[in-house]
Amino acid sequence: MTLLALEAVGVSKRYGDRDVLRGVDLVVRPGELHGLLGPNGAGKTTLMRVLLGLVGRDAGTVHLLGHRVEPTDRHMPDGVAGFVETPGFYPYLSGRKNLALLARLDGDRCPARVDEVLDQVGLSAQADALAGAYSAGMRQRLGLAAALLRSPRLLFLDEPTSSLDPAGARDVRALARRLADSGTAVVLSSHDMAEVEELCSTLTFIHHGHVIVSGTLDGVRMLAPSRVHALHTSDDRAALDLARHRPDITAVLAAGGGLEIFAGVDALDEYVISLGCTGIAVRTLESRTRSLESLFLQIAGNNGAGEIDTLKAELADREPVPAVMS
Amino acid sequence: MTLRGVSAVMSVEWSKLAAQIKTRTVLAACVASPFVFAVAMRVQSNVPTDTLFGRAVTESGVAVPLVVLGFAALWVFPIVASIVGGDVFAAEDRYGTWPTLLMRSRTRADIFAGKVLAALAFSVLAIVLLAASSVAAGVLVIGRQPLIDLSGVLRPPGPVLVRVALAWASVLPSAAGFTALAVLASVATRSSAAGIGLPVVAALTMQLYAMVDGPELIRRSLITSGFGAWHGLLAEPSYYAPIAHAAIVSGLYLVVCLTIAYRMLQHRDIGG
Repeated sequence: MTLLALEAVGVSKRYGDRDVLRGVDLVVRPGELHGLLGPNGAGKTTLMRVLLGLVGRDAGTVHLLGHRVEPTDRHMPDGVAGFVETPGFYPYLSGRKNLALLARLDGDRCPARVDEVLDQVGLSAQADALAGAYSAGMRQRLGLAAALLRSPRLLFLDEPTSSLDPAGARDVRALARRLADSGTAVVLSSHDMAEVEELCSTLTFIHHGHVIVSGTLDGVRMLAPSRVHALHTSDDRAALDLARHRPDITAVLAAGGGLEIFAGVDALDEYVISLGCTGIAVRTLESRTRSLESLFLQIAGNNGAGEIDTLKAELADREPVPAVMS
Repeated sequence: MTLRGVSAVMSVEWSKLAAQIKTRTVLAACVASPFVFAVAMRVQSNVPTDTLFGRAVTESGVAVPLVVLGFAALWVFPIVASIVGGDVFAAEDRYGTWPTLLMRSRTRADIFAGKVLAALAFSVLAIVLLAASSVAAGVLVIGRQPLIDLSGVLRPPGPVLVRVALAWASVLPSAAGFTALAVLASVATRSSAAGIGLPVVAALTMQLYAMVDGPELIRRSLITSGFGAWHGLLAEPSYYAPIAHAAIVSGLYLVVCLTIAYRMLQHRDIGG
């Protein structure tokens, strides 16, 4: 039996009266690139912080590389590394010196290793500049280098390409792929659906601290609504309000304007007629293919506790069901 | 917590301190300022008559470190003791480096102990440099003459220098107490300004309280009392009770402040 790289069961975290994580389960195997998806505030970063021991958990069990991490055990096991949000460094030290000090904390005083990881993230030329002069993208690369210093077998990357230019993002994706190919489990939090679809073999959707769905990329993709329509109207806000009164329709405002509508044909027909009856003109209506993005938008459009339970039940009933449901 | 872990953290903290202009400036000031003071005393006719041994400063070089010691007790020791202790934890918040630091192979206990020891070591180093520089400035600029002690006895310079060294050593526990206070302020407020400023304000408040006629229990629990406890070393017969008392008070400050600060850090959610 292969040892799991990460196994989290029933992880919960509460800040005051707000539940940030509610019984989250997460399993990642060695060599797996696992995407962690969800809207802003879903709990992805908090989950990473909990798993990395930066934040204590209120319930649940966590095993990292087979090592049981107790709630009070704020200590990073060997072989686990990563960064959360834009990593911070000492601005009065060079990038190289920052890494050398971090390596010293890990008990490694070999300068060749620092040069090696700087080269891996493409930062060798700027290694002797002060970290305070680094751009956000360079700090992200330095954060990745700091993580690589630990020769990780489980690597957490929180939006690792968010501040990088396209070439830098491509390099980081290639590096993540190489690490996974060599057996490292990589947990990747991202808003970039294309990035997740390109890289990840498994993924987990989180929303309001719940795991909505988790499984293989293909399996989760099949759970995306089969009938997604992009709708532009004369009054998208009013059209959204109208859709919210119809239980057979889910509608969300699309990032590029207009609405994404998740509904069957009959429900869509009735909805379009009702738009006309209320004086809202339909300007365009086009069918879209099944994609992670449409699933993301559908999940992001469900915000109430009741809606989330309904959505989970709906996804569980949707055919085919190859994914692991939480 | 392991010795290896604590020493690794301490070594990293020392490397960081050595790279900072602020710490280098403080140490340079500790070395240079006694010489500036001694030269100023030599070239002018006025002496600091309101300071202990101030009248003797131009007559005996061994009085210089005692005058500097008396003056430093007011402001310099609280600042020197807080400059690293008050910043060593809060700087991680300022730079957003807590996650970077905590995601290494060191426990929070290792990190806490390593940082506290680095701060204490810096306080001791600064005071030792100030003391050594004061002695050197007095002997080189003024000379190595006998000194009249607080009981009016004329003492040869050799034995006085031993007493001077003991006097400077006697303020170390109180300085350590202020460092612990600064560490607590740094951890609790997550602000370097508060970490450094609050202990200095506390020192000022304590010294003002010592001047008024308040309850003896409070007066005896003031950490600043340790900065003047050395007077008994320069009297005949010598008395040591104030030094022992100040060491006990400082030890209590150290234990209480560091225990609270450690528990706060241990239970803190980073970035949550």
